Amino acid sequence: MGFIDWKFLIDTFFVALSGVPVALLVTVISLLIAVPFGFFLALSRIYEIPVLNSFAKLYISFVRGTPIIIQIFVLYATIPLLLNGLFEKYEIDYPIYEINPLWYAFIIFSFNTTAVLIEVFRSALQTVSKGQIEAAHSVGLTTWQAYRRIIIPQALVAAMPNLCTATINLIKATSLGYAISLQEITLKAKVEANFGYNYLEAYLDIFIVYLLICIAVEYLFKWYEKRLSRYQLRLV
Amino acid sequence: MLEIKNVHKTFGKNEILKGVDLTIDKGDVVVILGPSGSGKTTLLRCINFLERADEGTASFDTIQVDLHNASKKDILAIRKKTAFVFQNYNLFNNKTALENVAEGLYIGRGLKKEEALKISKEALNRVGLAEKYDAYPSQLSGGQQQRVGIARAVALNPDIILFDEPTSALDPELVGEVLTVMKDIAREGTTMLVVTHEMSFARDVANRVIFMDGGNVVEEGTPHEIFVQPKEERTKRFLQRVLPDDYSYHI
Ligand SMILES: Nc1ncnc2c1ncn2[C@@H]1O[C@H](COP(=O)(O)OP(=O)(O)OP(=O)(O)O)[C@@H](O)[C@H]1O
Ligand SMILES: [Mg+2]
Repeated sequence: MGFIDWKFLIDTFFVALSGVPVALLVTVISLLIAVPFGFFLALSRIYEIPVLNSFAKLYISFVRGTPIIIQIFVLYATIPLLLNGLFEKYEIDYPIYEINPLWYAFIIFSFNTTAVLIEVFRSALQTVSKGQIEAAHSVGLTTWQAYRRIIIPQALVAAMPNLCTATINLIKATSLGYAISLQEITLKAKVEANFGYNYLEAYLDIFIVYLLICIAVEYLFKWYEKRLSRYQLRLV
Repeated sequence: MLEIKNVHKTFGKNEILKGVDLTIDKGDVVVILGPSGSGKTTLLRCINFLERADEGTASFDTIQVDLHNASKKDILAIRKKTAFVFQNYNLFNNKTALENVAEGLYIGRGLKKEEALKISKEALNRVGLAEKYDAYPSQLSGGQQQRVGIARAVALNPDIILFDEPTSALDPELVGEVLTVMKDIAREGTTMLVVTHEMSFARDVANRVIFMDGGNVVEEGTPHEIFVQPKEERTKRFLQRVLPDDYSYHI
């Protein structure tokens, strides 16, 4: 395979790897933000809380019905405008256009992931039968205690496969961060390729890096799911 | 000890409970009989606030609550005095037998963990499950699960235990073990309100039988009065249907 520059391939692999921390940071922070919001809005949907339920539905169809790259462009364009208005109003002097793209990435990807998680949590919570919360109430637990000790642990097991998919999709979606100059895997490798037009090698590297991360994440989720669902094993 | 008055409950357009009154004394074992859909489950659920009645009151010794407007505090207070055994057991799937029993003591009542576990073990021993502390519900037979359900209720040492058809979901060969446990705890003086189709339990264990139909209490009395000398036509017809032809009643 003489058309591949092996040295470049290997060197760039490490360049691409150096983008992993940013990709994972964006993934983790977005999940940390999206999990509580997603859970709260999932509950609003289940209990059909008037305004929040309709809001959640609209929000989900917006996120589902548009490509992520467009969501990125829209938020990347509107957030500075909003901030600008805010800063002017409160007379804050801050160079808006120098904000680290990392911050935009956190907002954009948690915005997107929240919508996904609402539905993940909603369907997971609905797999737990109503009898579980009734039994918890009947032994004197409050609704919050019942959720914390009985409902959420069971719903989490049901949610694991979808959570895994959502996380992997999120990791892959961070590759779109190059559009806002986020110093992640794809951007770093591409920049490297720009010098000598070694795009094929760079893409191969990107390919392998994502593949490795996603395999590792999937493995982690499987392992954790097994641990969480020990109670479902039927031994007799 | 427990006095329920004028319980009304409507689902949609169907009036399920049409003003039910009920008095239970300490140590009573009261069985509720009645055809399907007569509102037996709904009545028990209203007493424990698993369902919110449209109207009615409950007085529990010194506590008096409105079944419709009860505050969260009232509800917790009533639930501390009652326990519920469900038709489908409703054991906590993510907890072992021992944890199932301890949960209400440890989290609900705020007992120390060791204390809660000690009481829970005793309760499981009482229902014959000393070997199954660490089994998850998915590893237990229906009869064993329901016995855990009973232990979970007994451990709370409530003033009254409400049973909603505790043996209906069981395979016939498993009914006996659950009824035996229920008889044992009845003999030990536990106050029980039991919805069941097990006529033998009503006959042998209850000291009072209530017949419900169409959301009303039609007739109540001792097992002898209900089974041998029912006064109401509806009671007679129901008993004819559910009792085997050769059912002979001796007391
Ligand atoms: N949550 C609910 N929503 C609407 N209807 C309900 C609800 N719960 C019960 N019902 C209706 O109320 C009626 C009485 O139900 P209930 O379960 O109290 O009867 P039951 O006497 O326990 O009958 P069974 O012997 O079949 O258990 C039924 O017709 C049932 O369909
Ligand atoms: Mg019923």
